Amino acid sequence: MIANSLFMYIAVGMILFSIGLLGVISRKNIFVIYMSIELMLNAINLIFVALSNYHHDMGSQVMAMLVIAIAAAEAGVFLSLIIVLYRRKKSLDSDIFRTLSQKEAV
Amino acid sequence: MTDILFVLLSFFAIIGALGMVSLHQPVHSALSLILTIIALSGLFALLSASFLFMVQIIIYAGAILTLFIFIIMFLNVKEANLPKEPNKNLTLFLGSLALLPLNFLILRAFYKMPLLTAPLEHDFGKIKPLGMELFTKWLLPFELISILLLVALIGAVVFGRKDEA
Repeated sequence: MIANSLFMYIAVGMILFSIGLLGVISRKNIFVIYMSIELMLNAINLIFVALSNYHHDMGSQVMAMLVIAIAAAEAGVFLSLIIVLYRRKKSLDSDIFRTLSQKEAV
Repeated sequence: MTDILFVLLSFFAIIGALGMVSLHQPVHSALSLILTIIALSGLFALLSASFLFMVQIIIYAGAILTLFIFIIMFLNVKEANLPKEPNKNLTLFLGSLALLPLNFLILRAFYKMPLLTAPLEHDFGKIKPLGMELFTKWLLPFELISILLLVALIGAVVFGRKDEA
């Protein structure tokens, strides 16, 4: 009864998405920010799959697969960026990475 | 039966997500994110998306998060390298208050949706129809994703290279 209503799946997806957004806006640890982005992508995937079941259409499952591929690409770039910045600054504070946006970066 | 499974899986997913946001050490956060990912793969299985269930476990829990934990171990993060967040709980609380109206708005839009009762085709979500869909209707996005993965690979190599000044 609960498990086959679309509303419950959307509710779980929205709660997970909100927790991910919360992590992005209120934490400073760069690793936690990255994991929150992953969590948001996963929540969107859950909503995609629920809508695919609702519409009897497999297109949104294909879309979820594309989102997983994008997450994999993002993981590679983001982790190598973190490694480079950690070697230079020896810190995981996201405020330090503000130098990326300044002209006279050290 | 599926109700109990759904409640348990979503409970574990939300508990893992909350732990991920609120724990201090990055390794603990990554482990609770793995809990969330595996619970979400169970939810995919409940929605009869069997191929995505496998992909979620193999790629997310198996590849991406393992790579992630490997990187955390590799960087050898000490307590002094972590950012100090003295009022973390306060910002988390205020942020969740700020996110309530968005949730309310979206959930109200979906409140009247009917149930998922109509029977599905017997091969819904299996690997063969999904591949047929992917290679006929979604061929162009698939090729673009392959180019994106190539670009990300090159970018990671360029970032990881030692800079000879």
